[in-house]
Amino acid sequence: MNVLPVLRCTEKVAGMRLARTLAGLVLAISLPVTALAQSNAPTIRLFPTTVVEDLRQTSSVAKEMESGLQEVIGRLDQQQQLYNESKCDGAESDPGCQRLAKQLGATYLDMLGIMEQRLPDMEHTVNNTRLSLEKRLRSELGNKMTSWTLQETLLGSNPEGTKEPGPVMRGRSGMRLSERFRQYYQLVASSGSKNDQSLAVLASDIYLDMDETSELIARTREEIARATLIEQLNQSFGTITPEMMEVVGGVKSILFGDEADYVQVAGPPPGSFEQEYRSPLEN
Amino acid sequence: MKNFPVTGALRSLTIIFLALSFTSCATSPPPCMGPSSKNLDAAVGQVQRTLTDGCAAEFDRFYDDLLRVAEGDPKPENKRIFSEFLVWSTDEGILSQRQAKDYYNRYFNVKFVSMQGDYNNCTHTCPRRDRVMRNMERELTDKERGLMKVSLDSSGYYRADELYQEVELVLEATCTACAAGQ
Repeated sequence: MNVLPVLRCTEKVAGMRLARTLAGLVLAISLPVTALAQSNAPTIRLFPTTVVEDLRQTSSVAKEMESGLQEVIGRLDQQQQLYNESKCDGAESDPGCQRLAKQLGATYLDMLGIMEQRLPDMEHTVNNTRLSLEKRLRSELGNKMTSWTLQETLLGSNPEGTKEPGPVMRGRSGMRLSERFRQYYQLVASSGSKNDQSLAVLASDIYLDMDETSELIARTREEIARATLIEQLNQSFGTITPEMMEVVGGVKSILFGDEADYVQVAGPPPGSFEQEYRSPLEN
Repeated sequence: MKNFPVTGALRSLTIIFLALSFTSCATSPPPCMGPSSKNLDAAVGQVQRTLTDGCAAEFDRFYDDLLRVAEGDPKPENKRIFSEFLVWSTDEGILSQRQAKDYYNRYFNVKFVSMQGDYNNCTHTCPRRDRVMRNMERELTDKERGLMKVSLDSSGYYRADELYQEVELVLEATCTACAAGQ
């Protein structure tokens, strides 16, 4: 049974990465549209059509996985509630409780089966996107830019002023995937345009997440195979293990978010831009 | 011929005396005192006089002294005072244009002087990424002093801090992509 906590941990981390990665997808998909709308052609091309198509496909596969798991997790919740209300804790030898435990175990196996079924597609599309982005980053930021031009790109056209607040993706988790998609989409739709500075950060962020996600999906797939085998053995005895419930809890928090509130610290005081002094020595 | 040793001794004594006189001159250089005024304009004037009085080698120390004086009376105009002081230093031949720019931008500009390079990132920046980031971190501390504590330009400092984080993220991704392509 010591395999299950490993699975839970791996799944959770993978899921969090997935969540962050996927959250950026809608934003990334929408960006080229706004970039094209600008009169000034972007000087760097990080999201050509091929990358956008890869991102769109990854986004679609992720949504399928989310909706597929939502139903089975709902079923698990109901069964667990019934198990608790029937006061089966401590009454495992009761035939009714044994039957409930077996049903719960079977649903748990369904969940693992769905993950096993969906993850190869996910792995494939994530890898495609990762490789496309990798190529663009190497070419556009790695080979075509010096450290100085990269810095100027990141600063944009208004280095002294405040930057338009962009989405902070890394480290954000605990929100339902579809909700994150909706919020990012709205963010992009409401912003006038995006420039190279945002694109460079966005592409880097998505690429690093994809890189980690790709590795974690592979590890998760291995663990699912082991967890499935162990649960099949447990089915013979009709037991519910605490680890099993932890796994379910972990998957739920990944897909549907936790309840943690985001506390925002006050921002810096606004500067007096009108009186900004520009030295002739400035670069 | 008999007097020769006496003349030789006198000549030696004269040489020793002269040597001692020169040595004593060399050991008493100009005092190169830092500014005593707490007013930045006045302090700059004092430093300018001292610099032109043979203390140019102490420029680093004086610049630090001036920053300390400015920290005592922070205001946006201090940027201009430092800029004019550095332009004066190049006019006087104390600093080169490049040095003056580095002194100014290191403390008062959002851009990082330690992020300069003429070659592409894959071949030049990535192999020394750790060093670049360490240098930027040190420069960020100087920017905190120049932008925030001397010029009250908190938004400029926060933008520099944000730029530092963006560079860290983008370089991590770019260098990973560069390494994968090798």
